[in-house]
Amino acid sequence: MNKKGTIFTYSIVYSASEAFSDKTPYVVAIIENGEGKFLSRIDDYKEEMNIVVGMDVELIDTDTDIPLCKIV
Amino acid sequence: MRSVSVIGIGETKMGRLKTQTLKDLIKEAGNKAIKDANIEKEMIQALYMGNFNGAYWSTQSHMGPLASETLGLGTIPTIRTEGACASGSLAFREALIAVAAGVYDVVLVGGVEKMTHQATEKITTGLASASDCLCEADMGATFPSLFAMIANRYFHEYGNIRKEMAMAAVQNHENAMLNPNAQMQKLITIDDVYNGFPVASPLTVFDCSLITDGAAFIVIAATDVAKDRGLNRAIKVIGSGHAGSALTLAGKKTITTFESTLKAAEIAYKEAGLTAKDIDLAEVHDCFTITQIINTEDLGFFTKGQGAKGLAEGKTARDGIIPINTSGGLKAKGHPIGATGLSQIYEIVTQLRGEAGERQIKKADIGLSHNLGGTAATCVINIFSGR
Repeated sequence: MNKKGTIFTYSIVYSASEAFSDKTPYVVAIIENGEGKFLSRIDDYKEEMNIVVGMDVELIDTDTDIPLCKIV
Repeated sequence: MRSVSVIGIGETKMGRLKTQTLKDLIKEAGNKAIKDANIEKEMIQALYMGNFNGAYWSTQSHMGPLASETLGLGTIPTIRTEGACASGSLAFREALIAVAAGVYDVVLVGGVEKMTHQATEKITTGLASASDCLCEADMGATFPSLFAMIANRYFHEYGNIRKEMAMAAVQNHENAMLNPNAQMQKLITIDDVYNGFPVASPLTVFDCSLITDGAAFIVIAATDVAKDRGLNRAIKVIGSGHAGSALTLAGKKTITTFESTLKAAEIAYKEAGLTAKDIDLAEVHDCFTITQIINTEDLGFFTKGQGAKGLAEGKTARDGIIPINTSGGLKAKGHPIGATGLSQIYEIVTQLRGEAGERQIKKADIGLSHNLGGTAATCVINIFSGR
């Protein structure tokens, strides 16, 4: 799987479900990586960051199946 | 297929109905619809019940027999339909097909949901189950965030319509002021929308539909049977469409136009022999403000990318060329998930009968209801004629 991609669209989540309520605010995004689109969270979001459509991201290796990307 | 008409409607007031149980809501709205139809209960041959998440929010499944016993309908067959926020319209659509096919002559359709007794996190978790659990909800995508992503992509493709989205909320609140059944009897301003709690950017709490308790019921009958009984207030269903698209946002071909709406609309318009220009008013699924604007484009009321402009120019207001959500919509009338599609039909039928009181629009001959489920993965559209 191509680990490099761009943000197709995104949202910063402030009101989460029970499982994520301790992680807000966090970013969810649809990532386009040339092979298709998939949903991912963007790691380590800070309020001063300016997330925009088209931004380059990279998949981070984690020990779960849940995709997590970082801004590059 | 036989012509089918709506012969009775009933709904509860929408809102935080603390003391009313699911059964209380069913009893009130169901009996209102049956009384409105002026029929004996013995004439009802089947019950179709829309409900989204009674099992999770109220530990109550098997909504068909629950409603049937509550309303004293004896041994008639019942079924519950689930299609997220389109659950009520799905019940209507399936009942319509059964009557049109001649299986039944008279059918009761109901929808109910109780939500406000639960904490916001449990509501959010329950709503997220209308998306793909593994690929969306379990990754932290809430329901508002999926539509927030649609909004941000829309801004990217067609320009920023943040202000017009706020105007949609303002307009729906204005309409709700004239609807005695609406949950939110309060005017809001564009600034209120901008400054609301940022649920999922760019959506604030004022871009989101309400968490609501409520029920709505509709009695339908074969038009010939209604005529034989001299039921002169019958409103004909002249077109109906139901379509789907990928459950996941990432799996959709496009997210700034909803394929399910395009397809369901094509089917319904074709059956009715009409185009968007012929529709006098519509209740469209405004689960979020961005959704209302996209819907008015997908239904053909405005060309793609022009929905926000149409709204800003007053074209969707009560005195505009295509009044949208005269009831106050999901945003201000309320969104009792399983009842929502039927409450939309309640408003259209009320307008086509000329019984909408202060919010009555002048020319109300042909009305359309548009109900989405999930991230527009299910769409049901019905077109009604009061002529």
